Amino acid sequence: MRKLRADVVVVGGGSTGVGVVRDAAMRGYKAILVDRADLAQGTSGRFHGLLHSGGRYVVSDPESATECAEENAIVTRIQPHAVETTGGLFVVTPHDDPAFGDQFLAGALKAKVPAREIDPALALAREPRLNPGILRAFEVEDGTVDGWQLVWSAAASAQAYGAEILSYHEVVAVERTGEAVTGVRCLNRKTGEDVTIECGFVLNCAGPWAGRIANAAGCQPVDVVPGRGIMVAMAHRLVNTVVNRCIYPADGDILVPIHTVCVIGTTDHPTTDPDHLEIPREEVQQMLDAGEELIPGFRDARAVHAWAGARPLIKDKHVAATDTRHMSRGMSVIDHRERDGLSGLLTIGGGKLTTYRLMAEHIVNAMEEQLGVSHPCRTADEICPGNVPGKTYLITDRLHEREEDRLSDQIICECELMSRSMFIDLLEKFPQASFDDLRRQLRVGMGPCQGGFCSSRIAGLTFEEGAVDIERATGLLRLFLENRWIGLWPILSGDQVRQAALDDWIIQGILDVDHLPHPAKEEI
Amino acid sequence: MARIVVIGAGFSGLAAALRLRQLNHEVTLVAKGVGGLQLSQGTVDILGYAPEWVQAPFKSFAAFIEANPDHPYATIGTQPVKRGLTWLSDLLPGLVVGDMEKNVCLPTPVGAMRPTALYQPSMASGVLTKGKSYAIVGFNQLKDFSPEFCAANLTRTPLPTGGSVTATAYRIDLEVAPGEADSSALRYARALDDRPEFRTRLADAVKTVIGPEDIVGLPACLGLDDPTIHIDLAQAIGRPVFEIPLLPPGVPGMRINEALMRALRKAGARLVLGSFITGFEASAGSIVSVTVQQAGHDRELPADIVVYAPGGFESGALTLDSAGKISERTFDLPLTGTNAADLVTGDYWHDQALFKVGVRTDSTMRALGPDGAPVYGNLYAVGSILSGATRWAEKSGEGIALGSAFAAVNAIGGGK
Ligand SMILES: Cc1cc2nc3c(=O)[nH]c(=O)nc-3n(C[C@H](O)[C@H](O)[C@H](O)COP(=O)(O)OP(=O)(O)OC[C@H]3O[C@@H](n4cnc5c(N)ncnc54)[C@H](O)[C@@H]3O)c2cc1C
Ligand SMILES: Cc1cc2nc3c(=O)[nH]c(=O)nc-3n(C[C@H](O)[C@H](O)[C@H](O)COP(=O)(O)OP(=O)(O)OC[C@H]3O[C@@H](n4cnc5c(N)ncnc54)[C@H](O)[C@@H]3O)c2cc1C
Repeated sequence: MRKLRADVVVVGGGSTGVGVVRDAAMRGYKAILVDRADLAQGTSGRFHGLLHSGGRYVVSDPESATECAEENAIVTRIQPHAVETTGGLFVVTPHDDPAFGDQFLAGALKAKVPAREIDPALALAREPRLNPGILRAFEVEDGTVDGWQLVWSAAASAQAYGAEILSYHEVVAVERTGEAVTGVRCLNRKTGEDVTIECGFVLNCAGPWAGRIANAAGCQPVDVVPGRGIMVAMAHRLVNTVVNRCIYPADGDILVPIHTVCVIGTTDHPTTDPDHLEIPREEVQQMLDAGEELIPGFRDARAVHAWAGARPLIKDKHVAATDTRHMSRGMSVIDHRERDGLSGLLTIGGGKLTTYRLMAEHIVNAMEEQLGVSHPCRTADEICPGNVPGKTYLITDRLHEREEDRLSDQIICECELMSRSMFIDLLEKFPQASFDDLRRQLRVGMGPCQGGFCSSRIAGLTFEEGAVDIERATGLLRLFLENRWIGLWPILSGDQVRQAALDDWIIQGILDVDHLPHPAKEEI
Repeated sequence: MARIVVIGAGFSGLAAALRLRQLNHEVTLVAKGVGGLQLSQGTVDILGYAPEWVQAPFKSFAAFIEANPDHPYATIGTQPVKRGLTWLSDLLPGLVVGDMEKNVCLPTPVGAMRPTALYQPSMASGVLTKGKSYAIVGFNQLKDFSPEFCAANLTRTPLPTGGSVTATAYRIDLEVAPGEADSSALRYARALDDRPEFRTRLADAVKTVIGPEDIVGLPACLGLDDPTIHIDLAQAIGRPVFEIPLLPPGVPGMRINEALMRALRKAGARLVLGSFITGFEASAGSIVSVTVQQAGHDRELPADIVVYAPGGFESGALTLDSAGKISERTFDLPLTGTNAADLVTGDYWHDQALFKVGVRTDSTMRALGPDGAPVYGNLYAVGSILSGATRWAEKSGEGIALGSAFAAVNAIGGGK
């Protein structure tokens, strides 16, 4: 058993958790973050990729809109590497009410969300695949954001301030003596080791799993109502600007170009278990229909992958309706001292990835209030490690890098232009990583071939480098293929079904991976 | 002599076209791209897993067919497959060896022991044999082959026939061009074909690194035109040498493809390559012509007989639209399934029923309609378009391709 000590333990390594651990560390607290899986493997890696301008909410939720507009600018400044400044459009399709455009403009003005109407012909010139029948178009400052890059660079910033980040550490209990939190007990899922962390404060940032952490502390049940939404990534960027339908927020109303794909989404259905989020066929059909209305011919484009995430919405009946101090629109902080008579535990829910920094500021403020101290929040002022000021992501960045090293390095994943040294460098940092862990940071296996060609190469590299033994290397290869399939089988059609058959020829037909000795237990 | 149009340049299309030409028919081969052979491992599989390891493919046929009554082998039967295999072995003695009555195990790049019946002479020393030791050698510049991964899995895997082997990994630096860090197997193959000194370099480098192992395994890149390079190397190294087929495009598969194409040209078949079939004309239950798109305009090719060998989902002959509808691209042939909704599951290792969807035929390989009667009296369907098999899992692709081609040829008969 391993014993650690900290001032604050942050539970959950999604955007909220890393924002919180960074903020706490910057304010001088000895902070440890634990996540039961890899960082950003929950909702923060299962979202839509939109760095909101606020435009989406100017009519439905103006306060959120304002927050988004402000935070969008901050995130772009402190983590430019995670952000692509694509810009955004709101378009009125022939199926929509043109009058909503007036409400939209008025709302934007009031919420201080930059927006202006442009000639539909201009919008079409900028995005030639758009429905030529659009009636009105508005320009906004939407961007796109890579959740994994954002989370990892915020984590690096926290580490630079002395925080410790423990992934694959699952909280199994929140320890208390009477009315105060004294620590958390975790299980290291990679090694099976028990790890206890003594601490005076626990910040529960477990997103859709937040209710379970509150339970583990013996609190009255926290009502988290996960809202499941699906997204479908289409190969190539059918648009290079975020395209929103100019309507009251609805299903399938946003198309987000990010990296090599564009992502249509999303849906919203209440669910009970955030560990098992389905991707129903009907919803995939619904997304393709929605895409078709924005981009004629959308259905004939190639869907490469789908995923589902769960919105961590807290509908708590135990919080007094008057207690809105720490409630910013769309996000809520539960103080368990007032609610359950337990000090040293706060739970946060709701919000958006775009406003993660602000959420963190709120909950750390609430913690300091309980502690009776106050330090200024500086998270908006400092750029995160690994980011060059003003250098936002460009889709051509990797191509540029590969042109530089084309003679000295190998391209292991051709689809996503991932080089051998990129893989080896990350593997050295995370020798225990699964291939999916590495994929989320490197995009290996995320392109059209979905790992058909690169998966056996990375398995070879991992073993050659001595990171793992052959049993694990083979087990990781199997696991990678299984996990890629989760997001493939619901959307198989067109060229992607061809690819899946070719991949089967490679993986089973040529390599015969399925007849390698099976691991004694599933790898993690 | 009949005017026969063969559509598709995979294993089944090439074999059918060549055999029909040998039987004196007027043969036109139409293909829109390269066939699957170029992507394959270049062995001739009959039946490797059913789903357990199959020791003797033909001896297992009866039981296999009984358990899988919808499998193409149930329609084709044993004889056409055997005849096809014999024909191929006689035609390409330098590329096809082995005993069709018996499966052997060949190593794959990840170190699995893959069953096949016939293989290339360059692979023969790789037939995994109990108690033998193997030096598995990779090149630093060839990313598709990890000798360490391959050797470690070979060593820890028991042979399906009992016993085990030992394999040891070695690596060499082998630059095709100075400073080139990322070279494909095809680039190596061309260098070995064209530059005798490159063969010497390879042999010397291998000789320097390996230990006392019995046999030397190399990535499959030992020449495209010259299939005897492995013999030179074995001589120079002083040990038997074999090659291990890699990811597509596969050099051994390309060799067979080239050989069949050459034979087809020599036999005087007409080749219309790079062309899509865009339509066809039928009358009184028979196809009378197909339309090909060539150089930007449509051309009619009159046909007494059509042999349809377009491949399956992987080639785009079977399509699945975004609403889940499965169709056959050229003739809109009836399929064994039309809606993909319940045919795909989330279990990656489970055979997907979708990939068993295809065309059903009678024993002469004529495509059947739902009523059980041939859709067209003169349309024969062969190869991967046939329903009922998961070829990559069974290791049955080439056997089905050749068997169905020969069943069709048999029904068509000889020209005058
Ligand atoms: C479909 C969908 C689309 C969205 N699109 C956008 C968008 O385009 N733009 C935007 O700004 N926002 C978007 N959002 C919202 C945004 O994704 C979320 O608000 C945000 O990611 C939430 O982050 P989080 O850190 O609170 O939760 P999560 O990312 O879910 O993090 C919670 C973490 O807790 C960990 N955890 C759980 N249990 C335990 C335990 N016992 N021990 C240790 N760790 C544990 C989990 O592994 C997880 O990593 C979207 C949300 C959904 C559902
Ligand atoms: C903005 C954005 C862009 C994307 N672009 C692409 C793209 O171009 N190409 C592409 O292929 N994919 C793309 N994806 C999808 C991505 O590859 C993953 O499928 C998706 O992010 C799901 O996350 P994952 O990698 O953590 O999980 P998966 O790969 O689906 O699964 C990994 C592991 O997580 C476990 N798991 C399953 N559900 C949950 C859950 N709810 N919480 C925690 N663990 C769970 C699984 O059991 C499995 O062990 C994109 C995703 C986002 C957010």
